[in-house]
Amino acid sequence: MKEQLYVKNVTVQYKGHIGIKNATFSLKGGEIIGLIGADGSGKSSLLHAIAGVERFTGEIIYDDVSYHNPKEAQPLKSKMGLMPQGIGLVLYDTLTVKEHLDFFADIRNIPIDDTFKSYRTKLLHMAGLEDFIDREAGKLSGGMMQKLSLVCTLLHRPKLLILDEPTTGVDPLSRIELWEILDEIRKMEGSIILVSTAYMQEAQKMDHILLFDEGEIIASGSVSALLDSAKAYTYKQTPCEDGCITFDGRTYTRKNINADHVSPTLEGLFLINALQKGKTLTSMQISARQNRVNIPEIVMEAKQMSKYFESFIANEHIDMKLHRGEIVGLLGANGAGKTTFIKMLLGLYPIDEGELYLLGKRIQSGADRRELKSKIGYVSQHFSLYKDMTVGENLIYFATLHALSKQKAAQRIKSYAKALGFSEYLDAFPRDLPLGINQRFSITAALLHEPVILFLDEPTSGVDTIARAQFWEILRQLKQQWGIAILITTHYMSEAEYCDRVVLLKEGKKVADASVAQLHATHPKAKNFEEIFLEYYR
Amino acid sequence: MKWRVIKAYIVKELTELIRTRLIVMVYLMPSMILLLFGYGIRMEVTHARTIILDYDQSHFSHMLTEKFEHSKYFDAQIGLMSEAQALHQIKKAKADMILIIPASFQKRLLHGQKSEIGLFIDGAFPTRATTMESYVQGVVLQASQEAENIALKKGMIVINNRNLFNQAMRDENAMVPGLIGLVLLVAPAILAALLIVKEKEKGTIFNFYASPVGKGEFLIAKLAPAFLLHSLNIFILFLWATYLFEVPFRGSFWLYWLSSELYIFISLGIGMLISVVTRSQIAAVVMTVIVTLLPGFLYSGIILPISAMDKASYIEAHFFPIMYYNHILYDTFLISQGIASEKIVLYLGVLFLYAVILLGLGTLFLKKELR
Amino acid sequence: MMRIFWTIVGKELLSFLRSWGLLIVVLYSFTVDVYIAGEGMQIKPRNVGVGYIDNTGGGISQKIISHLHPPEFLPPKRFLSQKELSEAIFNKKILVGIIFDSDFEKAYRKGEKTELNVLLDATAASQSFTTLGYLQNIVLEFSKVDFPVELKSHKLFNQNADNHTFMALSELLSVITMLSILLPAMVFVKEKEEGTWDIMLLMPVDARITILAKSFSQVLIVVAGTMMTVGFVLFGAFDIPMNGSFWAFFLLTFLYSFTSAGLGLFVAAVSKNILQVAQLSMIIMMPMIFLSGAWTPIYAMHPAFQALSMISPLRYYIEGCESIFFRGTDFFDLWHYFAGVLVLGSFLYWYGFRKIGKLF
Repeated sequence: MKEQLYVKNVTVQYKGHIGIKNATFSLKGGEIIGLIGADGSGKSSLLHAIAGVERFTGEIIYDDVSYHNPKEAQPLKSKMGLMPQGIGLVLYDTLTVKEHLDFFADIRNIPIDDTFKSYRTKLLHMAGLEDFIDREAGKLSGGMMQKLSLVCTLLHRPKLLILDEPTTGVDPLSRIELWEILDEIRKMEGSIILVSTAYMQEAQKMDHILLFDEGEIIASGSVSALLDSAKAYTYKQTPCEDGCITFDGRTYTRKNINADHVSPTLEGLFLINALQKGKTLTSMQISARQNRVNIPEIVMEAKQMSKYFESFIANEHIDMKLHRGEIVGLLGANGAGKTTFIKMLLGLYPIDEGELYLLGKRIQSGADRRELKSKIGYVSQHFSLYKDMTVGENLIYFATLHALSKQKAAQRIKSYAKALGFSEYLDAFPRDLPLGINQRFSITAALLHEPVILFLDEPTSGVDTIARAQFWEILRQLKQQWGIAILITTHYMSEAEYCDRVVLLKEGKKVADASVAQLHATHPKAKNFEEIFLEYYR
Repeated sequence: MKWRVIKAYIVKELTELIRTRLIVMVYLMPSMILLLFGYGIRMEVTHARTIILDYDQSHFSHMLTEKFEHSKYFDAQIGLMSEAQALHQIKKAKADMILIIPASFQKRLLHGQKSEIGLFIDGAFPTRATTMESYVQGVVLQASQEAENIALKKGMIVINNRNLFNQAMRDENAMVPGLIGLVLLVAPAILAALLIVKEKEKGTIFNFYASPVGKGEFLIAKLAPAFLLHSLNIFILFLWATYLFEVPFRGSFWLYWLSSELYIFISLGIGMLISVVTRSQIAAVVMTVIVTLLPGFLYSGIILPISAMDKASYIEAHFFPIMYYNHILYDTFLISQGIASEKIVLYLGVLFLYAVILLGLGTLFLKKELR
Repeated sequence: MMRIFWTIVGKELLSFLRSWGLLIVVLYSFTVDVYIAGEGMQIKPRNVGVGYIDNTGGGISQKIISHLHPPEFLPPKRFLSQKELSEAIFNKKILVGIIFDSDFEKAYRKGEKTELNVLLDATAASQSFTTLGYLQNIVLEFSKVDFPVELKSHKLFNQNADNHTFMALSELLSVITMLSILLPAMVFVKEKEEGTWDIMLLMPVDARITILAKSFSQVLIVVAGTMMTVGFVLFGAFDIPMNGSFWAFFLLTFLYSFTSAGLGLFVAAVSKNILQVAQLSMIIMMPMIFLSGAWTPIYAMHPAFQALSMISPLRYYIEGCESIFFRGTDFFDLWHYFAGVLVLGSFLYWYGFRKIGKLF
């Protein structure tokens, strides 16, 4: 089959900065192409240009029609489908699933005949949305929203399907289902599918990948070819001074060092690129805590806790314990009740049933929490820093609220900035910095008062792999050096391996509570944690 | 132009409007503005709290005070207090004016001497003070005429005034039609801007950007719900005006209706232009209010007739559509020349031009791409 | 404790100074907007267009006409027939038409009852009414009728009935109301939207202090703006009298802004996003401003509206301010304005604390 999509020298420029510079590649029909790179590396800009919704310079040719701006792309739009980044972004919160399907069929002018009806039924079935036909989109879980968005994008059988991070923030089960739908479509329709993703593992499902860094495509090819090309720079983990990055049991360097070559991971490609630009990874070093505290053996205990939203059961009789020096991962699909549970523990939602003990104290009202506040740290889903204050100002502000003296605050902020490698960003505004860096400030803000319990609600969602790995390194050190207890929710199943214990929630109920090793023992067939997770959900 | 696409969008918009309860605002706001302005602003003064200090207690003085007691314009309080106490009442905002009849009032009158009555008005609200003053003047004038039974003296000119269009000089008649012009300028513009900017803010605008839906289809689909919903307001406002405020309607209802629909198009055009330059719903609302409400109020003719404006404002007023529409409105409610008047035909033409130009500009500036 | 309070206040002021758009809107409202209102909105008739038909051949009619001069009246236009005159009124070219009948002068000279016919465009009721008053005075003066009773009237506190100061003050009070509701409401709802409010609740600071500090910071902005307006616009441009105590005004403004900020807190507490805040504030503010007594005295309103105005803090504030500026009321006699504002304020904060200021 001949190439159908040519992208030639495409550049997207915004006020003040460049989205993507000189992107050039071509694709055949029936291929799935992955766009991989950190947040802000230019994937969305390129996808928007191809979809004809953003001005660009250069040329794009699809189906023998050449276009240089959105206007020229207009006649091609009936053949394209775009699903932009953001969970449920293209959905209307108050419309039901059925109303969405009708709306999209109408605006795409699809004849409502038997072929369409059976295709629609099939899509709904694949997405597992048959039973939710009359539910409003705003009341669907994140995973279901993404599946509905995909179904809506697929209704008119696009030959060029453009998906911008469809799986970010989506639980593993929904993610797998999304990929199954894509695979099916590729076979059925022979479409070109462009997918950007933040999950490296998904690269394995692509025929061809493009790696993005700082607005440029730094490499392209099949996964195996790319890995081969990086092999020359990959060594077994070896102590090495400058010009090296050690990550995930491998050491990458452009120098010749005296060690055995091993096969690299995809992350390695980015590390090698970073080395080429003369950068290295900052090593994280958390210093010992300043306040000595006695931490009880059991820092948190929930007994039969429940939460109801009108008739909807968000949490049902959940028991959980959190010990000193323990990292517990709270896992579950979107809408399983993870965030609700954490908010209940924090007192942001009232506890409808059950008992809660924090640091040995029974919590019955807000008043019981008063002295405990200085012992708890919390990082919310959105990395909540004030957008109109610089990072430094934000941190000083939070330190003052924690009643730290000026000198102490300045000294702690300085040491965290150094340890977590963000000294150079203290005078910048959070919105101007990538998600991965923002995440480090958020955790710093939650650590300034040296808490003994840390609650983290999806702190790694949308953050690139390397930044995530560094983040887990911080957590590991906190546990070891400070002996604090950490409760964390995440969608990345690979991160379960870092937890001492995982608690699995399904539809508001606890379905598992054990260490990863124990779970592997009870599920001998599973190759990795993701498969264990799926067994609970299927 | 595909009817199916337009229909799908319209059904979607209406469903959303109802489910998000924004529909309440669509109908609550205009009526609320009309009722509040209509009831809340009164130029005429009634029940002015008057303290009368009658130091004479004579036949004549009683004749005078009775006049105050029996008038709807005054709430007279024949005071048994000192002047200082009375003044204190004004300072505490418990009274509006003090009328002092001196001890020698009757005696002097009977001797044919001039007698002075003292009036002290709270001047905190100057316009009201002036109005109250003229009321009191009228009463005193009338009373003294009766008292003396003076035949009209030589050379007395009497003004015989005819209040055209609004016989009783009711505030409601003067104000309410103008308010309709204001409301129908602001409300449809806000709704139209919101319907488009909402999609930009949420991200659903991608459905338009990335699909074959044409610009024309999208705009018709977005403006039609706002147009239809507010068309109903034309009738609702009409009913409030005629039934609740009892404003007479003397002209042609057809002219009222058609010019109002035309005017709504202008308002929609303004909303559309605003949706082009704003990204968040709140910015769209704020901007629409700034662009429409203040000039609308100033040039509506409610507070000041256009002809009485100074040169600069007079010229400015001609740039705003509300001047033309309100001219037609006042005509249909109170004057009833209808299209027999050349000026009204001309103004209809101007409104039509406005609608065409604004909608045209909106279509021109709306781009099917990000940014 | 005080350190935390002031830190929060300082942070909010910094945020405010950094949001350019908002800063400009606030500055504009406190200066230009108040100035325009005081300068521009004149209800007194000015430039009233007059037309006349004179069938008398001049003389007295011209003398009467010559009394109609600027700024109240535009130079009168002469029309030749009644048809032309009424057409001009119908087309709103002029507001007043005066008709001198052919026997007008004859009757006047003979000393008979003389009628002067005046047509008024009563669609502009207040202008017409006042114009009629002017005409009446001119004619009275002209007739030199000597009435035995003379009314000697004094407008207390504002002898010239100068409207500028009143309009400017009313506008200032509306601006204060609007901003002291909207600014805090925006502060609180922004925190809710962005999730920082959860973080604030979890800080080891009493949430009531956080709420008070955040409200206080916005109140400071409003009070500072008010002082600026009073200094530059009211005293500077309009020379408004200050018959009462400045400090009473300052204190009342402070308390009132705090109470309105409580209203903003209430709005933010029940809203999910900034758009809802805008809608709800409009629904609350419009009746507040119109039923405040600034335009129509409370006692002249419909009884239902009178009852409703009891819960509007603006009602107390406006009457209080007018008393302070114009009436020069003693501090002690103002107590119920302070009380009214304080009672309403306390209730609003109590609700706000309960609704968004606590953990469970």
